[in-house]
Amino acid sequence: MSVWTWLGVALLGGVGANARFLIDGLISARAGAALPFGTLVVNASGSLVLGLLTGVALSGDALVLAGTATLGSYTTFSTWMLETHRLGEDARARAALLNIAVGLAVGVAAAALGRTIGAHA
Amino acid sequence: MQCVKLTTYFGERDRVDGRLLADELLAIYERRGVRLSTLFRGAEGFGRLHHLHTERLLTLSEDLPVIATALDSPERIEALLTDVLAIKRRGLMTLERALLLGAAADEQRSERRDTFANALAFAGGAGHGRKLTIQVGRRERVGNRPAFVAVCELLHERGLAGASVLLGVDGLREGRRTRARFIARNADVPMSIVAVGAAEPIAALVPELARILREPLITLERVRICKRDGELLEQPHALAAADEQGRAAWQKLTVYSSHDATHDGRSLHLEIVRRMRAGDAAGVTCVNGMWGFHGAHAPHGDRLLQLRRHVPVLTIAIDSPEKAARSFVLIDELTREHGLVTSEVVPAMQALSANELSAR
Repeated sequence: MSVWTWLGVALLGGVGANARFLIDGLISARAGAALPFGTLVVNASGSLVLGLLTGVALSGDALVLAGTATLGSYTTFSTWMLETHRLGEDARARAALLNIAVGLAVGVAAAALGRTIGAHA
Repeated sequence: MQCVKLTTYFGERDRVDGRLLADELLAIYERRGVRLSTLFRGAEGFGRLHHLHTERLLTLSEDLPVIATALDSPERIEALLTDVLAIKRRGLMTLERALLLGAAADEQRSERRDTFANALAFAGGAGHGRKLTIQVGRRERVGNRPAFVAVCELLHERGLAGASVLLGVDGLREGRRTRARFIARNADVPMSIVAVGAAEPIAALVPELARILREPLITLERVRICKRDGELLEQPHALAAADEQGRAAWQKLTVYSSHDATHDGRSLHLEIVRRMRAGDAAGVTCVNGMWGFHGAHAPHGDRLLQLRRHVPVLTIAIDSPEKAARSFVLIDELTREHGLVTSEVVPAMQALSANELSAR
């Protein structure tokens, strides 16, 4: 990888994180805290786009920049886990399990959908 | 010493002219040499515009509710108010009466002797509820134990219904700034131990506390204990919207509960916030404690590898008497089994949302 790719990863990683902060913030402020919808939307949309990118067979530096850097920092596994744990702390065990199940199902489905769309594009 | 407590409720990220409001307020308090001040970070809440602030969602937790208190003589708080009111800030501000039993060198000798008499005589003597607040440093010790542990144990032994230890993040003690830093011992950063009970046992505790603490700073406030463990003891103060002089009156309801208390399987304090946010309440703030006790259980905090949290929570709602009465009906229903509910009269309040502020 060249120096420019490293710099690109650093820059686009920041862009992805900012995009998540904005989108998650907007959704969470509207949807309330019953379930962490902001994180779900961010992870599902990120999975869809990453599926799409691999579907169109993006490779090399382009995949590193768009996938690993941008989408990698846009989506968040740790927040999904932390917020699930918080649901458990607040006596909402069922909501915690639901958050895991829905996040997993929607995420895998979004990635598969993205790949299908990408492969046929 | 008869004091006035100025309390401001706002958002952690609120800014005035590019500076954080919390920093701005504490800087004013420091400049004015306020005797006692603590900045608390809340866990959840909403204000006039009913925007939810919560630590439950990572992205929203960067703007949590905060509470800043400043306690001093009425004259000094009045002088301070000029500076505070000059700031273009949103949020809620209250003035309340309190009795400070301090240990500043000049008043130590006379005041310590009189602490019991003072505490008992404070506003009407026996027969009323009192809120006791003990200020200690984060690393302050009594004997070989942390001060907050020793104080909680004493309060528990003397049969108080409960106590909550709240961790401050910034503050002042006898005019000296004590701010928490990320990598530091933070030895003097303030902690408040809050307990509610009948006037006599609380008054009897004051000299005992003054004996065990190195530099005791103890505050007493008048409260009405409305509910304890689901039992309705007394209705909140029935206030008119304005007093005889036409000044607006305000009311503060506080629910002291456990983080793991539930109502119909839902977290009690979160359910209070949720329902009050769905209604027309002016605002609610929850603050988590880090140690405490409730009833007969020995004082405790969180343990390693647990799912539910075992810490106390304070849920504070300040409103007009009419809305506070409606809120109490809701709180009464939710605290059918758990929680201690108090009512206080707030002599002065100012609440501004961002829109109202820009309209001024």
